[in-house]
Amino acid sequence: MRKLAWINFKYGFKQYLSLVISLAFTVLVLFNFQNLICSGAFEILGTRNREYVEMIINMITFVLVCFMFFFIWYSTDVFLTRRKKEIGIYVFMGLSNEKIGKLYFLETVFTGLWALFLGLFFGALSSGLFQMILLAISDLTVEIHFRPGLKPVFVTAGIYGAVYLIFAVKGYVNLVRSSVLGMISAAKQNEYVRQSKAILFIKSAAGTAVLGSGYYLAVKRDQGGAMGNALAAVALVTAGVYLLFGGLIPLIFQTAAGNKRFLYKNQRILWVNSLIFRMKKNYRTYAMVSILLLCSVTALATSFAMRGRYDSIIRFENTYTFQLLSPWQELDEQAAAVIGDGNDIVVRSRIPLLCVDPSYVNTKYPDSRYTILSWSDLKELARETGMEFPIAPLGDDQIVKISHLYLMSLITDKSGITVAIGGRTYSQVEDISIPYMGYLQENMNFYVVNDEEYRRLRSFGEELYACSYRIGDPGNFMETRDRLDRFVAGLEDGHTARVAIDPESNELDWVKVMYSVCIFMFLVFVLASGSIMFMKLYNDAFEEKGRCQVMLKMGFDRGTLKKAMKAELAVAYGLPFAVMGISSFFSVGALARMMFTDLTGVNLVSVAAVLGILVLWYGLSLQACEKNAGL
Amino acid sequence: MNHVEEKNNMTTAPAQRVHVAVVKNLIKTYGGKGFQTRVLKGIDLDICRNDFIAVMGPSGSGKTTLLNILSTIDKPTQGTVILDGQDITRVSNRELSRLRRDKIGFVFQDYNLLDTMTLQDNIALPLSLSGVSGKECVEKVRKLASLLGIEEHLKKYPYQLSGGQRQRGATCRALVTEPEIIFADEPTGALDSKSGRELLECFKMVNDRGQATILMVTHDPFCASYAKDVYILSDGKILCRLSRGGDRKEFYDRIIDVQTSMGGDFLCQ
Ligand SMILES: Nc1ncnc2c1ncn2[C@@H]1O[C@H](COP(=O)(O)OP(=O)(O)O)[C@@H](O)[C@H]1O
Ligand SMILES: [Mg+2]
Repeated sequence: MRKLAWINFKYGFKQYLSLVISLAFTVLVLFNFQNLICSGAFEILGTRNREYVEMIINMITFVLVCFMFFFIWYSTDVFLTRRKKEIGIYVFMGLSNEKIGKLYFLETVFTGLWALFLGLFFGALSSGLFQMILLAISDLTVEIHFRPGLKPVFVTAGIYGAVYLIFAVKGYVNLVRSSVLGMISAAKQNEYVRQSKAILFIKSAAGTAVLGSGYYLAVKRDQGGAMGNALAAVALVTAGVYLLFGGLIPLIFQTAAGNKRFLYKNQRILWVNSLIFRMKKNYRTYAMVSILLLCSVTALATSFAMRGRYDSIIRFENTYTFQLLSPWQELDEQAAAVIGDGNDIVVRSRIPLLCVDPSYVNTKYPDSRYTILSWSDLKELARETGMEFPIAPLGDDQIVKISHLYLMSLITDKSGITVAIGGRTYSQVEDISIPYMGYLQENMNFYVVNDEEYRRLRSFGEELYACSYRIGDPGNFMETRDRLDRFVAGLEDGHTARVAIDPESNELDWVKVMYSVCIFMFLVFVLASGSIMFMKLYNDAFEEKGRCQVMLKMGFDRGTLKKAMKAELAVAYGLPFAVMGISSFFSVGALARMMFTDLTGVNLVSVAAVLGILVLWYGLSLQACEKNAGL
Repeated sequence: MNHVEEKNNMTTAPAQRVHVAVVKNLIKTYGGKGFQTRVLKGIDLDICRNDFIAVMGPSGSGKTTLLNILSTIDKPTQGTVILDGQDITRVSNRELSRLRRDKIGFVFQDYNLLDTMTLQDNIALPLSLSGVSGKECVEKVRKLASLLGIEEHLKKYPYQLSGGQRQRGATCRALVTEPEIIFADEPTGALDSKSGRELLECFKMVNDRGQATILMVTHDPFCASYAKDVYILSDGKILCRLSRGGDRKEFYDRIIDVQTSMGGDFLCQ
């Protein structure tokens, strides 16, 4: 028995190849990720970021294991249907179902081991490269020591083995339970082909509605419920895409095939029919690939957007190097002299502000530090520092919030917010994030009111002066800070606060990790969707061989058949790509709303990146399919 | 070797006869050095426009081999085959493809309809791929299909059709390009006798209407009796030629007689 399985494995190797490759691929991905965790690449981020990083790692591990689960499920399922009819022949040789099941089980175990071995081997080969790429992308300024160890190997083998075993056993049970007839006719599933128009129509309508509401939820603005919306949108879009490929797209193709003037042109008669013929069998694959592509493009866009946001946050925080809060207006000149000793002060500003006691303030999101600025003072500051000033003169009951840059925010709707201060309710007319107050904006809530209101509110708080400076050479930071600290300590009033922002701090490095991890996810998803599509087409092309031979006999030249195949593959890749492209507009749109920025450019670039990779997959598939079809 | 030749004076006058294919001294050997089998040992054959020829012989006598060579799928070892005025041994593969597509129609034993498309599309396939307009395709397909009695099945897929319907569909596909000649290899081989008869009636009808020149190979005398001329192939050679006078039944009896008179190896198929 074991020998038979081994012989089968050896001779059927070519057929197993697609399974082995795809399994090896999942192993490679998992191994690389485990390796990254164990390599200590994350530890350099220091303890401050540990929480975030651990959260990210857990999240990704979860996604990867889910992904692996489905991927193995899919590839073993494809494999089982194909093996069923071949292995089913043994029924005629008098083998019992149990024996055949065992045979299949052993074959899959051989295959699985072989894939594990290959995956680990290539994983080890590629891991160094992989980490280098990731770290280059994230440009962490720290040296990484590669610590090759056995732990990632064991963890990977363990997870993979457990998942794989489930499906090997599932295949065994399936074979043991299937009837003889079911086994040998497993391949003769010609009964799909054309589907009834009524059903397709219902499915199309349902799909359009579901997908539409998913899109709507994704882009809807919301005050706090964005997370729930996003989850619902994900579920709806997933279901909608399945219905789309199960309904509208076959409907369109069938209608097109019914129009003979359209169909009998160029090679359409071949590839359109071919697509319809396989649609019912393949639509789940198309849908899955679309969704994986959507994940990948969203991951990439997130990465680009994060990268952009990271840069602007750093710029934002480093608007000033030193900031002093003091009741003494004259401190400005003295501090400037201290800081300016041996430094260029490139940006400098001073503004009075009103620290309001939180008990006088009532907002939707209570905080402990509220600070009021007057419109004219802020305008003067903007002029001094050369920042833009887009705030129109304010009415008595109007207020503008000056906030910091969020990485992301779940509050996507900022209209209709009111703020009550000192017994008066203001309506918030704008929320802008220009770094007038630099790093202070991270920790305090700044509001702008008109000058009269500012004067009125004086009685509710204490007026301080914020003096801010940026030095030209970040290399002088330490030395200057110490000097400034000595100066502040010598003031002996005890009311002056000092904020220093180290331009070379790595406090935000976890964001870098985040966006490199997003790129990693992008690669995983795009490779996965490509390889699923590839496997599908690779297998389908075997069926094409007989048909091609007949047509060659009838005198159709290879060029025609190749053209038809090209068109078919292009549509097979093009459909999920198109669905992804349209959906990405909404998923990236949702992201843009959470980040309060315009990501259209990022969206286009990400879609183009996916397109580039898909074109490569297409070329690869075309080669393989032409070979399999004997063209 | 008993080479029987019957004089043929019942067919159309020689002056009107246009050659479609001329085969001279055709020899085909399989295998390499030291291990050669000669399958065809010098075949001479003339096929003229509107002929309906059956090549009959026992299994393994080289019928398929002959047909494959005539239809340019295979190459002869020796001898000349002139098809539509061109010597197929001297023509490039590309030309041969073109020749097959434009001048030859095929009816295979196992139908070979494409299961990915409806019968209508299957029949329209050769026309559509050679650039005929959609409207014209639809028109031609409909005409032929109604002639062969499968019009109501056009929207169905091959798997929804019986063997006989499929084979008539395949015949339609072969006829639709109006080829110079149709080659049929055991066209009734996979059919029950009733469907087989219907198919042969179709062959006979299109031939009688002057729409097709047919060369059919078969091992079945009943099948062969539908043809105008029957060549008996045995051991790589054409042993004799029989021509139908009038009645098909009488012709069938004659074929059986000749078959019996040749005895031995012929009966064991
Ligand atoms: N490709 C081949 N290689 C070697 N021998 C062949 C090949 N094809 C056919 N033959 C042999 O040629 C002979 C005639 O075959 P075929 O033409 O198929 O006979 P028929 O169709 O009359 O039954 C058979 O003996 C067969 O074994
Ligand atoms: Mg034969």
